[in-house]
Amino acid sequence: MKTTRESSSSPVVDRRQFIKVSALAGGGLLIGTYLRIGEQVAYAATTTAENFAPNAFISIAPTGAVSIIAPNSEMGQGIKTGLPMIVAEELDVAWENVTIVQGDLNPAYGRQSSVGSGSTIANYTPLRTAGATARAMLISAAAQTWNVPESECTTEKSAVIHSASKRRATYGDLAAKAATLSPPANAPLKNSKDFKLLGTRVAGVDNPKIVVGAPLFGIDVKLPGMVFATYTKCPVFGGKPKSANLDEVKKKLGVRDAFIVDEVPGLTPGVAIIADTTWNAFSATESLKVQWDEGPVASQSSGEMAKQADAFAKATPPAALPAGVKAVEAAYHYPFLAHATLEPQNCTAVFKNGVMEMWTPTQIPGSGQGLVTRGLGLDPKNVIVHITRLGGGFGRRGSNEFSIEAAVIAKKLEGTPVKLMWRREDDFAHDNYRSNGWHYFTAGVDGSGKVVALHDAFVKMQGGPGDMTAGGFPFIAIPGSKVDSSKLPAGIPTGFWRAPGDNGNVWATQSFVDELAHAAGKEPLSFTLDLINAVPAPTTPGRGFDPAKMTAALKLATEKAGWGTARQRGDGMGFAITHTNNAYVAIVADVSVSRDGKLAIKKLTAAVDCGQIINLSAAEAQVQGAMLDGIGAAWFAKLTIEHGAAAQTNFDDYAMLRINNVPPAVDVHFIKSSAPPTGLGEPGLPAAAPAVCNAIFAATGKRVRTLPVIGEDLKWA
Amino acid sequence: MSKYTLTVNGQSRSVDVAPDTPMLWVLRDSLGLVGTKYGCGIGECGACTIHVNGSPTRACQTPVSSVGRSPVTTIEGLDAAGKHPLQQAWVELDVPQCGYCQAGQLMSAAALLRKNPRPSDADIDAAMKGNMCRCASYVRIRAGIKRAAELRSGGVSEKGGER
Repeated sequence: MKTTRESSSSPVVDRRQFIKVSALAGGGLLIGTYLRIGEQVAYAATTTAENFAPNAFISIAPTGAVSIIAPNSEMGQGIKTGLPMIVAEELDVAWENVTIVQGDLNPAYGRQSSVGSGSTIANYTPLRTAGATARAMLISAAAQTWNVPESECTTEKSAVIHSASKRRATYGDLAAKAATLSPPANAPLKNSKDFKLLGTRVAGVDNPKIVVGAPLFGIDVKLPGMVFATYTKCPVFGGKPKSANLDEVKKKLGVRDAFIVDEVPGLTPGVAIIADTTWNAFSATESLKVQWDEGPVASQSSGEMAKQADAFAKATPPAALPAGVKAVEAAYHYPFLAHATLEPQNCTAVFKNGVMEMWTPTQIPGSGQGLVTRGLGLDPKNVIVHITRLGGGFGRRGSNEFSIEAAVIAKKLEGTPVKLMWRREDDFAHDNYRSNGWHYFTAGVDGSGKVVALHDAFVKMQGGPGDMTAGGFPFIAIPGSKVDSSKLPAGIPTGFWRAPGDNGNVWATQSFVDELAHAAGKEPLSFTLDLINAVPAPTTPGRGFDPAKMTAALKLATEKAGWGTARQRGDGMGFAITHTNNAYVAIVADVSVSRDGKLAIKKLTAAVDCGQIINLSAAEAQVQGAMLDGIGAAWFAKLTIEHGAAAQTNFDDYAMLRINNVPPAVDVHFIKSSAPPTGLGEPGLPAAAPAVCNAIFAATGKRVRTLPVIGEDLKWA
Repeated sequence: MSKYTLTVNGQSRSVDVAPDTPMLWVLRDSLGLVGTKYGCGIGECGACTIHVNGSPTRACQTPVSSVGRSPVTTIEGLDAAGKHPLQQAWVELDVPQCGYCQAGQLMSAAALLRKNPRPSDADIDAAMKGNMCRCASYVRIRAGIKRAAELRSGGVSEKGGER
């Protein structure tokens, strides 16, 4: 068992919040928002006024230049643009005058984990408060200067205005005075109907750099005198090196050193090779020959797991159905998936004067710091983590093996910066895969077409997310429904893959609901609407599955997609729904399947209720991208385990979605809402694949019960 | 190790590397041009797409010894000021998500537009299917190419470094 898995749980945020203000050198204003997070309180509290500047979310210079910290990791979800937009909205600052600065890891910034579609949810109120507090202080500064009541002052585009006397002062003019004031305890937040920036389309702040190829990503970090390293682990999970041809490897061009690393807490043992260039490190790694101690996981394989799943299902039968009730049975299976972020894992580190300084493309910088702190016995204050842009995340970079690997090598090379670079093959071989899973459903449908029983025997890998209870739809719609779940023996590392749990389970459950509609002789839309409305309304508004919101999303999606239009054989529509990260998403797929079984998706239509939209451009992109991610994975992707190791090594044997398989139309409709924002990086994903599979059934009469779709015979005559 | 003199983004650049070193790593490690990205190392993902003699080429599959003095253009040389119609369209339509693949997408798209100023969806799919976008920003990549085609026909020039 690998030992580098990290805790999945986010820190519990204590909502007590501390606004701290100080003067910027030269007479500016700095606003910091302190959140207390568990054990890190002490660290934050030691920050003094003198070095307060790095913790400030907002700084306003006398020139009027406003800079806002982006505390979280940008991996394509738009958070580097979205979070500062929240501050700018409440501050009433002109967006074009704002400079965004990527924050380093710092407890003062609160929740810096970018997982679980939670960054916006966690930061929405604190960042609004920070912006509103700064605005209130600027108003106070103006009111005092002009000797007028604060209530007569308004703000607009980085200026305070007193209409009665036609006076106007820019935030830059007021910053020095504002910095001498005490922050108000309860600065009023805007009514969402007065938002000017939130809900509009704002382009990503790094776009101008991206399109000219400027350095942004972890892989782009370059330090003077830097060397390049690979780190090779046993292909069989849990294995470790016994010996290697290190003398031979050290003779290769450009190689500086090669050594076996073992016995570091939190580090999977392996072989480090250090060279003067990436290519020389990669070439030398090709010549590496290792004697591995493979360990017990070598006996595991995908085929063996399928047998174990079948055995569990046989041993866990559903309760007998009442007389006169028709049994509907179906078994669904989805495979392991790799994350395959396009930027392979990497980390740059330098160890000097007892301080480890790191540049890390990570979704959870704090866990990387924790691994290094524990593994090398360093004080957290001496492990500095700079957050780079991430070339994709999808949950992969929530674990931080690359951080400890780079740090261990950097410590050995004390004084010399080192970039650890995983090859694509390393990335496929040592992922935290989306777990495979099996659902063995049995439902009872009575004479009126009503579902009166639902049982699911659910099997997945031990470890990682995705455990299922009867707490989600459709189980909550069917009294007495039951899920018996079992886990395969541990060994293959599984972890968070975009929309954990839901990414496979919603495909299975939403496909089976469509099967039930047909078995009941009902039209699928009215059948599903009836099921949704059989769910009791939530006792706490805004929490739990809200049948009214789900109904609204499904009705909107089907209406926009033209649900119910007659189709010729080979063409079909299907829909599916999900309630993920508290967002409500309904998706309609319009597909065409040729007689020889070739699938083409003609159109996708989504309706989404995600509460208040922060950035409409990013929101639309996230839903489009998540839908296509879900469909691409379900259509093409399959990772198999053979002899305790991943069988696929690169994109030539692990197919993913390409542009030629993308439908000509991918429409996203948002339901207008002033409710607090939900997450949106993931909710677009789970319902996309079952919508397509249900459409395939409508087109061909063939039910896809095993993924990927590409492995299924869709021929029809 | 061998010495090579290359023509990169219109400039003469000398490097001393192993002959089998792919252009990808010559650009990134020796010349400091990190816009060209490593994704797979086997020519499958397109993240490392550059132009050699104006043709889209996978830098990870192009040994430095094979290039000679053929002009090489990277994303940094497409238009350093970001004024190429594709770069403008990419910013205007907010095409990038994580952005890692976009240098390769832009280089493939630039080669397409030079050959075919008004590409259809089918033309775009055929020319761009070698460029993977893991975030699946494909809908906006298509729209971005069409927008760039409009900008081009409307007089936005392609000065850039394509020489």
